[in-house]
Formats: sequence, structure tokens, C-alpha cells
Amino acid sequence: MSRLLPRAVLVIALVGLPFFVGKFHVSLMTEVIVFALYGVSYNLLLGYGNLLSFGHALFFGLGAYTTAVALNHISGLGFFSAVILATASATLVGFLIGFLILRQKGASFALLTLAFNALFHAMAIKFTFITHGDDGLSLLRPKINLGFATLNTPDVTTFYYITLVVVGAAILASWYFTTTAMGTTVVMLRENEERMKFLGYSTSLTRLILFTVTGGLAGLAGSFYALFFSFVSVDAISITMTTTVLLITFVGGSGRFTGPIFGALVYIYLQNFLSDITDRWPFFMGLIFIVMVLFIPGGLVQLIEDIILWARVRWMPGTAEAGRES
Amino acid sequence: MSILELRDVRKDFSKLVVLRGVNLSVSPGERHAIIGPNGAGKTTLFNVITGKHQPSGGTILFKNREITRYSAHARNRLGLARSFQINNPFFGLNVFENVRAGVRSRMGLRYSIFRGPGALPKTDEQTWEILRQVGLDDFAQTPARELSYGRQRALEIAMALSTDPELILLDEPTAGMTGEETADAIEIIDRVTAGRTLIIIEHDMDVVFSLADTVTVLQSGVVLVSGAPEEVRQDQRVKDAYLGSD
Repeated sequence: MSRLLPRAVLVIALVGLPFFVGKFHVSLMTEVIVFALYGVSYNLLLGYGNLLSFGHALFFGLGAYTTAVALNHISGLGFFSAVILATASATLVGFLIGFLILRQKGASFALLTLAFNALFHAMAIKFTFITHGDDGLSLLRPKINLGFATLNTPDVTTFYYITLVVVGAAILASWYFTTTAMGTTVVMLRENEERMKFLGYSTSLTRLILFTVTGGLAGLAGSFYALFFSFVSVDAISITMTTTVLLITFVGGSGRFTGPIFGALVYIYLQNFLSDITDRWPFFMGLIFIVMVLFIPGGLVQLIEDIILWARVRWMPGTAEAGRES
Repeated sequence: MSILELRDVRKDFSKLVVLRGVNLSVSPGERHAIIGPNGAGKTTLFNVITGKHQPSGGTILFKNREITRYSAHARNRLGLARSFQINNPFFGLNVFENVRAGVRSRMGLRYSIFRGPGALPKTDEQTWEILRQVGLDDFAQTPARELSYGRQRALEIAMALSTDPELILLDEPTAGMTGEETADAIEIIDRVTAGRTLIIIEHDMDVVFSLADTVTVLQSGVVLVSGAPEEVRQDQRVKDAYLGSD
């Protein structure tokens, strides 16, 4: 009951959101969900598997560009076909790059992912005949024909619900991933990579599967990012977009499943709030990032847990221990 | 016929030569102790046998198959497992998950994204069985890092057993234990490795001569002598080089 109740409240809140808040917040929450999946995928890589990548925007941007390019060039391409195509291409590139660098560890792994990100970023700028370079690519969200009804995707609220269902399902699938045999194997990679080998596990294969899966998830997030803005620019595949996911993950709480979800919520709202006040909002974002990493390494999730525990000890002394266990 | 055979196995780390040509033969079911002074190359020998390091030269045969260039995980899957001299579990995982990692690996459930880690029949039963054997069943849910030192040593043995190996290599399983703890640990090791081939690195001579049926003395990266415990005890070279100076 104590586990079910908050989840039911969350689902009701997300479904009921458009009835209580204006289109502005519905739109922002759509963006939050998209960035939550981007963060969740990165957290699986870094927080669960201890693979530090500086190239995650590559997959996010690839998903975004594949969606935009496909919708511009393949006439009659459906909404979900574009999303699947984008996810598949990010998964495939994740597999190929993963295969090339799976023997690299630590700093050399991180730098190689950065190099691949820079390569794809350069391609997005230079291959103007498909990407339109710095001008970016705009797209029209195709309407979804369900047979009995047609979903008017350009509508803010309709698109919010589509995002909630599709991207929300991907987040739930990511959670399920952490409970599977592979999910435990990934945590073993973080805890003691050497020991795994002497229990019959190939660490290279573990890394490759993880890199491929998280690449695909980031590609799906990127696809919805493109659909959300109806536009893609080189920002989507830039190093800044990698920094964004690092920030979301660390501010929210690395290694905890809900961490990057909180991180995305805070990041999107803070960015929106700060960019209204000052053009130098990345500076303040950076400050927040530094403060969080230095003083609350467990992130927002840690902070929330500490506050709940403190409140229980303060107001309900008898239940504090029970709270710690759950 | 031998289960493990080393022919002229050498290992050097750039200029430092650790193994200078080790020849060793271990028969199935043998309880083989490796002794020798610090720096003799005992742990390096284990690392070369189990695939942590590639040998610089020579040949390693396991069950008559050449495994000299095999990766560590491939060797484990053939039925070769080890423990470590310094406690080396998955510190953030609980005791049960540490042991189940090997049990499910043996059953082929390593990377599935559709099934849970305990999805295959008997996985959990076998894990509990191993935990009971080493006396860790009351600590199944305890994170490995919160175990006492002695129980972490027991977990080392449990993890080495978890892939149900034919050949098990224990690197100083009693390191850091008192005399009494050592006696208990050896009794457990003797029991849980019954029916398997055992190679053990051990410093306590009482343990070596009570447990082992074959003793190999390693010195400066070569085998000084290898044979029955009494034979080795009486060997003048061993007395001079090792036992005498103790």
C-alpha cells in the first residue's frame, strides 16, 4: 500500500495535468518527460554500469535528425514509423561504435565517445544537403490515424499524452531492465569488473549490450525532442547536449533510477525560469551543478530522502526505522 | 592423465621476470598445495592459470585442451574457478546476489533483458545451498561490504564454488585468520571441495600437510620440488630454502 499509493497519485497527476494547468506547463512537462528518458538512459550507462561517456548527445541528436530528415524526405511517413526509424538508427550506431571501443576503459573510453560525438556534430554542420547545417531542419508532426479516430498531433495536449504514453513506456521499460538478469550484470560491471570475468561473464559483451541499449533509448528521446520542437538544429547533437544529460543525471542523483527524472524536472523548469531573467543562465546552471556535486553527491533524490527521514525522526519518532527499511 | 598441465610457463612484467618456466601437472581429484616464500610467484601463477594475465611463454592445458590464450571468462566456463587473496566480491551487492551471479552464469543466464536473475529453476536453491555450506545463509541479504572480514573470506570461497567448477583455485583462503579460524575454514574448504580438484596457496604448514595430498614448492619462479607431503618435507633443498628458515 505504501508503495502503491504514491505511484497511483503520480499516474493520476500526470494524466490529469492538462485539466489543471495551462498549455504553457503542459508543454514544459512534455519536454520534462523527453529529457527524463534521455537522463534515464544516461544513468543506466553511468550510474548503473559506471561507463563514463561524453558522447551521449550523439545518439540523442541522431534520433532527432533521423526523425526530421525522414519526415522531410519520405512522403507519407507515419508518426510512429519515424520514431521507430530514429530509435533503430541510434541503436545500430550504438552497436557499431560500442563494438569499436568496447575494449577501451576509463579515460580513453570517455575521450573516444567525445571524439565520436564531435565527428557526428561536424557531420551535422557540414552535410548541409541533408541537415541544412546551422539553419536546422523544420518538420511537421504527422497526424496519427487510429482507424476510429485521428490524433491531432500538433495540438499541445494531444502531443503531451502521446509523449506520456510512448516515452513513459520507454522509461518503465528502462526500470524493468534494471530488474532483469542483464540489469544485475550491469551493476556487477560497476561494482567489480574484474571479478565478473572469473564468474564466466564477458565484460566486453556486457558493455556492448549496455551501450547499444542506452544508445537506442537516447535515440527515442531525441526523436521526441525533434517532434516536440518541430525543429532540429546542431544543438541537438552538440557537446552541450552531452553536458545537459550529465547535469540532469548528477543533479537528480546518479545511480538511482528516479534521479534523472527529478533532474529533468528541475533542469527544464530552472532553465525556463533562468533564461527569462538572464542570457547567462548556463552560468547559474553550472553553479548549481558544482554545488550539487560537491555538497549533495547523491543528488536531489538523496536530499529528498534525507528530508523525509529527518521529518519522520522529528515528528514521528517511532516510525523512523521502518521508513529507513522501506 | 592430468586435469591441468603447465609446460614451461613463463611470465614477465617488462623487465621483472616472475615465472621462469613452471612445469606442473595436477591429477583429477587431487588436493594440491602450492607453497613458497613471498615473491616466489604463487599468485602470479594463479593469475596466469585463470586468465587474469596472459603468459609470456609456455603452454597451459586444461582437460587436455590448450587454454593458453583463452580469456578469463572462457576458462571459467570450461570449469575453472578461483578465489582471491584480497577480498574481492561485488561490495555493493548483497551476499545472495554475489553468489547467485556465479550460479546463474553457470546456467547461461547472464545477459537476458527478458528474465530476472532468479528466473531459471534451481538457481535460488543452489545459491542457498552454497550459502549454507559456507555458513553465510543468515547473511544472505547483507551487503558484502558490511560483512566482517572473516565472513568476506567465506564469501570468497562461496563465489569460487558458485560456478560449480571442476578445478578450484584458492589463493590463501585463510589469510588474516587466527589459528582457530583457520582450522574451521580448512574444515569447510575440505568439505565443500569434495569431488573437485583443488589447488590452494597456503602459508600455514600444519594446514598444508594435513589437507594436501600433493605439495609443490615454488621458489623464484620455478618449481623446486613437487610430490607427496612427506617427500617434500624430507627434501633437503626445501629444508634449506624454505622450511628451515621459517
